[in-house]
Amino acid sequence: MTMISPEERAAMREGFGRLLAEKCAEADIRRVMATQSGNDPALWTAMADMGITALMVSDDHGGIGAGMVEIEEIMEEAGAALLAGPLLSSAFVAASLIGLSHDADAKARLLPAIASGEKIATVAFTGDSGSWDVAGVTATAQPQDNQWILNGAASFVLSANLANVLLVFAQTPGGLGCFEVDSAHVQIEPLQSWDPSLRLSKIMFDQTQAVHIAGVDHATFEQTLDVARVALAGEQAGACRRIFDITVDYLKTRVQFGRPIGGFQAIKHIAADLLIEVESATSAARAAARALDTDAPDKDVLINLAAFACADAFSQVAATAIQMHGGIAFTWEHPAHLYLRRARADAQLFGQSDTYRERFVAAMEKAA
Amino acid sequence: MNSDAMTIGDEVRAWLADHWDAESRRAKAGGSLAQWMDRVVEAGWAVPSWPTQWWGRGLDKKSVSTIVNEFRKVGAPGAGQDRTNITANSVMQFGSDTLKRKIIPEFLTGRAHQCLLYSEPGAGSDLAAVRTRADLQGDHYVVTGQKVWTSGAQNADYGLLIARTDWDVPKHEGLSFFIIEMRQPGIEIRPINQITGDSHFNEVFLDGATVPAENRVGDEGQGWKVMQTALAVERLVMGDGAGERRQGSSKNNVVSLIDIAREAGKIDDPVARQDIAQAMAYRQLNALNMLRAKQDMAQGTASPIMSLGKLAMSRILHEDARVMTKLLGAASMLDGAEHERAADINYRTANAYMTSIGGGTDQIQRNIIGERVLGLPRETEADRNLPFRESRAVTG
Repeated sequence: MTMISPEERAAMREGFGRLLAEKCAEADIRRVMATQSGNDPALWTAMADMGITALMVSDDHGGIGAGMVEIEEIMEEAGAALLAGPLLSSAFVAASLIGLSHDADAKARLLPAIASGEKIATVAFTGDSGSWDVAGVTATAQPQDNQWILNGAASFVLSANLANVLLVFAQTPGGLGCFEVDSAHVQIEPLQSWDPSLRLSKIMFDQTQAVHIAGVDHATFEQTLDVARVALAGEQAGACRRIFDITVDYLKTRVQFGRPIGGFQAIKHIAADLLIEVESATSAARAAARALDTDAPDKDVLINLAAFACADAFSQVAATAIQMHGGIAFTWEHPAHLYLRRARADAQLFGQSDTYRERFVAAMEKAA
Repeated sequence: MNSDAMTIGDEVRAWLADHWDAESRRAKAGGSLAQWMDRVVEAGWAVPSWPTQWWGRGLDKKSVSTIVNEFRKVGAPGAGQDRTNITANSVMQFGSDTLKRKIIPEFLTGRAHQCLLYSEPGAGSDLAAVRTRADLQGDHYVVTGQKVWTSGAQNADYGLLIARTDWDVPKHEGLSFFIIEMRQPGIEIRPINQITGDSHFNEVFLDGATVPAENRVGDEGQGWKVMQTALAVERLVMGDGAGERRQGSSKNNVVSLIDIAREAGKIDDPVARQDIAQAMAYRQLNALNMLRAKQDMAQGTASPIMSLGKLAMSRILHEDARVMTKLLGAASMLDGAEHERAADINYRTANAYMTSIGGGTDQIQRNIIGERVLGLPRETEADRNLPFRESRAVTG
């Protein structure tokens, strides 16, 4: 649970929103997309100075100790601006995983540097199947002379190209484990992604030396993914609202047949239906964040609901935004396709809607 | 009681503790519901935001929320009608002082019941096209015309009536709003048989019925504005209801989708499970939206989300019925007492239109959301500026 007051939370969100408006405008996104790294180091430093990279880390390790409610709201802003870079993978997901472990040494060694933004970390959850479950983990780890050796591969690893530290889930003789790998010691193969603002990599392990992270098991794997999913739901809710707002503005200004197209019922009715999706996504993401913070009894219901409702809403709103803009949105120069790219990527990252719908029903059955 | 030293929350809690038994959900002094409501009105809890000379306490919205919440916690009725009571709010805002004194107490105490005489066979979604006429003769109006989709007409003491008083101005400008006594010669009520087999609604035929001029709410020709205020209160109550119903019946509903799947042997069918998830998600998402809207409103911020509730609800009801029908399969062709499950699902299928047509169709709701929430350009109306006498509603 967070110690941050609602006023501090609102101020932080506003400050972050201002920073993004200044440093992460559409031109900046396009510039960063075209770079090798897919990251804006100056913006990263500014976010670190603001404490954004320290949110997930507890205060005894140099962080702020915020809860998911704060992370979710920050991700709404990040999503709205289509922020690229390692905020989600390093500051939120990797920091959360280490925080959930029982490894005092790893915490002391890694968390302060992640909080300050000096070190970038990422988590490798899945193999080539991209199934984001334990069965999908194909990397293996074997103990050998007081250390661990990794073999196999992990894929769809977010921002691995920027990471100093890789946290890799692997199958061990005793079940699922997690291992710290120095990124300098492995081969990282960048994957070309349809959303150029999202950097994915495949990592190959070949007798790679690794350090075991204590106290990370199957449950931690799921808990970390829950954090990742709720943060991502926030990104989707925020992005979905921004592309919707852009579209509604256009409906008021684009004139056809002698009047603004937003005056036509065919268009107006789509907009009203999309507004329900946007508001529902926001409500779902925030409810899931609150449930995760408070370990609420209906946590599983709400996290899975947010996971598919936000993914579906963002996909639907982004896709429909292109249709509602008409020909102009079919050009590379128009921002609508950037949102569609992110929507389609986010809808696969950490799991699929169908899977979440299934998990949602199962959680409801349990509750019924 | 010294209200300076106490918060309004303390005061209302103390008052409720003195007057209401939360265990039995009854007034401590006994008596009828109307007598309890008298006490609530006297104490100023019925309409706390209204001025003190008009049954209120002059409090802000946040205090009203506090009071409503305290009443809700102990299950006591009557508080916060300044947000929900359609008649009392319309009369308070637009009625003469005489009318206020005459009508409002009857409604705040629940002694009088109202029905809404708005829709007509020729004026459904286009409500400004009403043709029921009210002609001033001396100190009263004579009313002639036909209303439809009136619920509760048989039990109503008064009708909230929109009628045309001027045929020579554009359709929105020639309307007036009245509170008419329902129990009088010249008013005939006939039930409407619905596609569900129920008869919740009525047709109301007005033929020379009378209403005193002092029962006009607002000036002549101001009827449209008064009705919009009344409709806004109604929508708020309905949207709120969508959230409220969820607390009670969604659980039943959730159980029943899963139960029906179990009964039908489809609980392990992955396609059925996807359908069930989506139907249940719509319901949960609406509940979460309403919760957020309420939190906004409790802090005194108006929430546009509230206006989405009705449209969301009709999607929920149609989707529930669709999924249930799929789960039931061939058995959904059956009906009647021997096929209870099918009969229930068939009823839901037909009854879902109650929400998607009633109280403004989904399409009108989308127009309203598009225009009032998103600020999109208004729908053009061919007859908006024509004198009503020359409009299609009259000339055909």
